Amino acid sequence: MIAFTDIVGMDLAKQALMLLAVDPELCGVVIPSAVGSGKSTLARAFSGILPESTPFVELPLNVTEDRLIGGVDLEATLTAGVRVVQHGVLTKAHEGVLYVDSLSLLDSSAVSHIMDAMSRGEVLVEREGLSEVHPAKFMLLGTYDPSDGEVRMGLLDRIGMIVPFTAQNDFRARKKIIDTVLGKRDSEDTEDELKMLGGLIQAAREQLPHVSITSEQMQALVQTALSLGVEGNRADIFCIRAAIASAALAQRSDVEEEDMKLAIKLVLIPRATRMPEREAEADEMPPQEEPPPDEEPEAEDENTQADTPDAEAEEEQKDTPDMIEELMMDAIEMELPDNILNISLASKKKAKSGSRGEALNNRRGRFVRAQPGEMRSGKVALIPTLISAAPWQESRRQESLKKGIKKRNALIISKDDVKIKRFRDKSGTLFIFMVDASGSMALNRMRQAKGAVASLLQNAYVHRDQVALISFRGKQAQVLLPPSQSVDRAKRELDVLPTGGGTPLASALYLGWETAKQARTKGITQIMFVLITDGRGNIGLQAAFDPNAEKAPKEQLEQEIEALSRSIQADGVAAIVIDTQMNYLSRGEAPKLAQNLGGRYFYLPNAKADQIVDAALSF
Amino acid sequence: MSQTETVAKKSAAKKTVAKKTVAAKEKADQAVNATAPEAVKPAKASSKKKSGQAFPFTAIVGQEEMKLSLILNIIDPRVGGVLVMGHRGTGKSTTVRALAEVLPLIDRVAGDTYNRTVEQYIEMEGGKKGGNKIDPESIKLEKIPVPVVDLPLGATEDRVCGTIDIEQALTSGVKAFEPGLLAQANRGFLYIDEVNLLDDHLVDVLLDVAASGKNVVEREGISIRHPARFVLVGSGNPEEGELRPQLLDRFGLHARIVTILDVAKRVDIVKRRRDFDEDPDAFMKKYHREQVKLQKKIELAKAILPEVTMDDKVLTDIAKLCMNLGIDGHRGELTITRTAHAHAAFLGDKVVTMKHVKDIAGLCLRHRLRKDPLETLDAGEKIERELAKVLGEAEAV
Repeated sequence: MIAFTDIVGMDLAKQALMLLAVDPELCGVVIPSAVGSGKSTLARAFSGILPESTPFVELPLNVTEDRLIGGVDLEATLTAGVRVVQHGVLTKAHEGVLYVDSLSLLDSSAVSHIMDAMSRGEVLVEREGLSEVHPAKFMLLGTYDPSDGEVRMGLLDRIGMIVPFTAQNDFRARKKIIDTVLGKRDSEDTEDELKMLGGLIQAAREQLPHVSITSEQMQALVQTALSLGVEGNRADIFCIRAAIASAALAQRSDVEEEDMKLAIKLVLIPRATRMPEREAEADEMPPQEEPPPDEEPEAEDENTQADTPDAEAEEEQKDTPDMIEELMMDAIEMELPDNILNISLASKKKAKSGSRGEALNNRRGRFVRAQPGEMRSGKVALIPTLISAAPWQESRRQESLKKGIKKRNALIISKDDVKIKRFRDKSGTLFIFMVDASGSMALNRMRQAKGAVASLLQNAYVHRDQVALISFRGKQAQVLLPPSQSVDRAKRELDVLPTGGGTPLASALYLGWETAKQARTKGITQIMFVLITDGRGNIGLQAAFDPNAEKAPKEQLEQEIEALSRSIQADGVAAIVIDTQMNYLSRGEAPKLAQNLGGRYFYLPNAKADQIVDAALSF
Repeated sequence: MSQTETVAKKSAAKKTVAKKTVAAKEKADQAVNATAPEAVKPAKASSKKKSGQAFPFTAIVGQEEMKLSLILNIIDPRVGGVLVMGHRGTGKSTTVRALAEVLPLIDRVAGDTYNRTVEQYIEMEGGKKGGNKIDPESIKLEKIPVPVVDLPLGATEDRVCGTIDIEQALTSGVKAFEPGLLAQANRGFLYIDEVNLLDDHLVDVLLDVAASGKNVVEREGISIRHPARFVLVGSGNPEEGELRPQLLDRFGLHARIVTILDVAKRVDIVKRRRDFDEDPDAFMKKYHREQVKLQKKIELAKAILPEVTMDDKVLTDIAKLCMNLGIDGHRGELTITRTAHAHAAFLGDKVVTMKHVKDIAGLCLRHRLRKDPLETLDAGEKIERELAKVLGEAEAV
């Protein structure tokens, strides 16, 4: 196995892991990273810097509920004749590490259980006749590739540190990686380095209780969280812990600016829901939030120290809280990479930020749970059936003996024992709304369209369907809302949807198709596009990827849309097209689109919202 | 637990020895830090916390709406429970779990797993075939704190409703009923975190039981029916998914909870949390007086509740409010009336006025407004607006 110290690059991830090793109460680290960046190697190497015999449990993605939280051990129960409890994976990770590779692909019910265990520090087992509490206080280490979809926010919220997404390593690092893999590194060196690191962490753990943080510093961190629009109080707590752990790692007893910056980078920035006020662009959408107070103190321009983020810590004594705050703000601006909003948990709330459309929220998976049921109504879950039959064997045998039936060696299974496997992909339909928000959608028609979408959403809510929202305007389409059951969110997105610019219809179709494909991997089979547009695409697919692309000729645009539509139809995605074009302007683009998609066509100026709903639901 | 303690002891003695586990190491740190003769004490404290020491209710900063809703439900369980929805990490489950400490005591039949009152006990046991008449005098009572039962998302139906006691079946071949969570929650609170993610089939069970106040189990030749009246408390984040309308309707109150935007308050929250994590016992001690005070206040409110009265005029205004808001059915009025009574009692008032109604109307009605897709006004604002209208009329007359 490759040692922690031999891994090159991913410095921030390594720093996060070291902080976690120092303070397990930070609850975990999430590392989003592209395929082949070595994130899982790093994660596995993490156990090497932890104290010996710390449990390190890897969670398989296809874990079932009873394996996860524990249940009855069938074999032992049958042999012992007494109910024997089997501990779940979460309990096995107690006081250690639970590692999940591809965290974003983890089944949603497994995510819920992990969330629950993390907030309690224990697992409540209330199943199959068991009622027990098992300890389960673990650090969650998760890696995932953001192109597989996003991790549920509720889970991320409970994990202390989230390493900002980096797409690629640098070249220096790559060379070293190859050397390491080829075994050109001296193994003795490695061992020494590991030992040193271990000692460092050990020392930091001892230092941890001696580190103090001032009220001003706490205030500054909280203020930063506030100006980044971070939700809830957990981030505040994690951020302060991380700063303290960082100071302990440096063998200091006071928290310094660099500690705070690291903490902000690892804890707060990934949870930002908005850029600090100064960065706000007022062009297309007025910010909904009220401006955070004291964002721009007058002292700002006078203060040259504030401009150098590396300012030494000696200055700190003189610093007023305002000043710290100033520095923080600077730190954020310096650290914010261009793609910050790509990983930002709640970035999709901002209409202008969702350029990375593939994000998906895991809702329902293909999880299996056993439930009592008719044998014919589904697949029989053998093990749970045996578990429920096991305790009765003796008494039933005697009963059947009384009736004169001899079945000494056969298991006697009654109707009540039968458990049926429940696959949870009866998840209804995924409606992907694609709303044309280009300049050609005059305002009043936009209102109508919104009304139609809103009533569909309402219906989706009642039927427990999922909805995703894609808008297209300007150069390309964007996912405003990945598949979700939250009508609230969809409605909110819709309310603030701006209009204007070109009509990148092809981009929307493409993005919708991608979203559909991702949803399929999560067990959603019924997918329907709801296109609200005049059908007049005038921006090519090329423009979505290359802002400098030349304007595509009209024929090419038409071909593009036609080809895409047909492929989508062939892929089995249903569609309805709601035409918003005024009659006298129409050249029949929308009906053609509907035809190519194999979907139904509606003319909005005539259609009532209810009719559209009926149409969508009757497919 | 004792195992980790001994580890902590050992490592406290020999500081350089490689530590067994993460937690043991931490405990050892604390122990080393304490330098007192009984250096193992901190380790004990933290292991105690694990086994359920909850953050004190009175130490929770802000989130008044949620706290009030819970308290009103203690004063009068007929308020019908509360649904707490809001942002992540804002202390929803912390608050609900803190509730246990401020709950009053109730009488139940001694050792009864269903927490039954004498009447319930006689009704259920006395009606059995061949059962003798039970003399109420002969039944022993005991005092227990109002139970708070946690229903985890992964619970299976048999544990929720109760099933055959497998242990007994295995050892003695007897078919005995093993009560489930619904039995334990009788006359208490049933709490479901992430209630919006609860499996549909469990929601069905809950709806059934919540409507009838009885749990009926027919399985493996066992047929049992026992009282299961509880205050349903649910919490969740609306962004994770919606609640089924039928379940939403079951909740008497709907408290909303948002991220606190006040820096000082947030720093205060962090500090309190740190203090609690560092030394839970000392922290509990610090808040003990406030906890007792609140508990007394709730008990007092419970005591005067039967004497609280309401003018017909106020009732008319409540009805008007619900009508203007277009609320279906009568559950809205009923909930407001009960909640206003409890609220008045909590404030020590014996007459319900529109002021009490005003404080709680939002809680009672927020989730009952018909969802209008084109409505941009927040439910709370809408209620307030209609309330102001009704109040304006009331004052004008």
